Amino acid sequence: MERSRANIAVGVFVILGMVALGYLSIKLGQVSFLGGRGYVVTVDFPSVGGLKSGSTVEIAGVEIGRVESIGLADYQARVTLRVQTGIKLQDDAIASIKTKGLIGEKYIRISPGGSEKIIPPNGKIREVEAPVDFEELLSKYIFGKV
Amino acid sequence: MARFARALALATALLVILAGPGGVWAGAPTDQLRAQIDRAVKILEDPELKKDGKQRERRAAVRQVANDIFDFSETAKRSLARHWASRTQAERDEFVLLFTDLLERSYISKIELYGGEKIKFVGESVDPEGAIVRTRLVTKQESEIPIDYRMHARGDKWLVYDVLIEGVSLISNYRTQFNKIITTSSYQELVKKMKTKQGEFLHEEKRTSQR
Repeated sequence: MERSRANIAVGVFVILGMVALGYLSIKLGQVSFLGGRGYVVTVDFPSVGGLKSGSTVEIAGVEIGRVESIGLADYQARVTLRVQTGIKLQDDAIASIKTKGLIGEKYIRISPGGSEKIIPPNGKIREVEAPVDFEELLSKYIFGKV
Repeated sequence: MARFARALALATALLVILAGPGGVWAGAPTDQLRAQIDRAVKILEDPELKKDGKQRERRAAVRQVANDIFDFSETAKRSLARHWASRTQAERDEFVLLFTDLLERSYISKIELYGGEKIKFVGESVDPEGAIVRTRLVTKQESEIPIDYRMHARGDKWLVYDVLIEGVSLISNYRTQFNKIITTSSYQELVKKMKTKQGEFLHEEKRTSQR
């Protein structure tokens, strides 16, 4: 009797541990179940230079979504964003790839527009700004001056 | 003979259908932009207008070209973004004028530094919502600066509403600045700032032309 009680306690403990582990991996790995919440919009950038799936999407520094996937379409980078429901993106909103600090990670900043037209789910943000390639700029000013 | 006439009629009909209403078809944005850029370059290279004392005339000519290809009211609207909706019609009209003036002041003086740089047209993508024309400015040192023009169709004309230099958007730049000024102080403050700048410039222009 005493022994089986100890066994149950161990079992419960193990199960609790596994649940906690599962929770942690979901939280840290940013895995979304059942396609996740929110809606999807796509953006085509000439280049994404360092942006990864899972990168954040921000308006005024507040996270409103994440990059779901990045693929190639007609030699441009097609980025799929998952945006929280309730966040409305206007037709003339601009998506720019920015860097946190000088050498930090890349994220997408959306500057909201003023149009009455709202981008529907599975719609597309048309106005984009690619990341500024500092190395390229630098080389232009180094090698450009002959 | 009758067969030939019929074929001709069919060909004409096809052409009309393909050209569509307003004559907006692929290639048009690049062609229209190219025509205006050529016009501007011609003005800038005109030896007659390069002479001293002709500066004002030259500027006016360049301004005319800019007004023909740019949709300044759209640029102003997009730059003001969500603050545009809460403006009255009178405020909007005033803002468009102030903003057009600001752009002309900041860029026309730069354009005057033009010294024979070449402009290459490298591509164009058109969709029902608008078009992007990609160009490269080739400097005398042979380095290329990418300049993209975002255009939209207004009637049978394609007008530029945003310019991206090295991928940096003009609208995005002003949108961030305007938003900051309006949210930290007020719209009136922004207008006041723009008016002060305008006044300073007019004063400066007067002084240089008097010299």
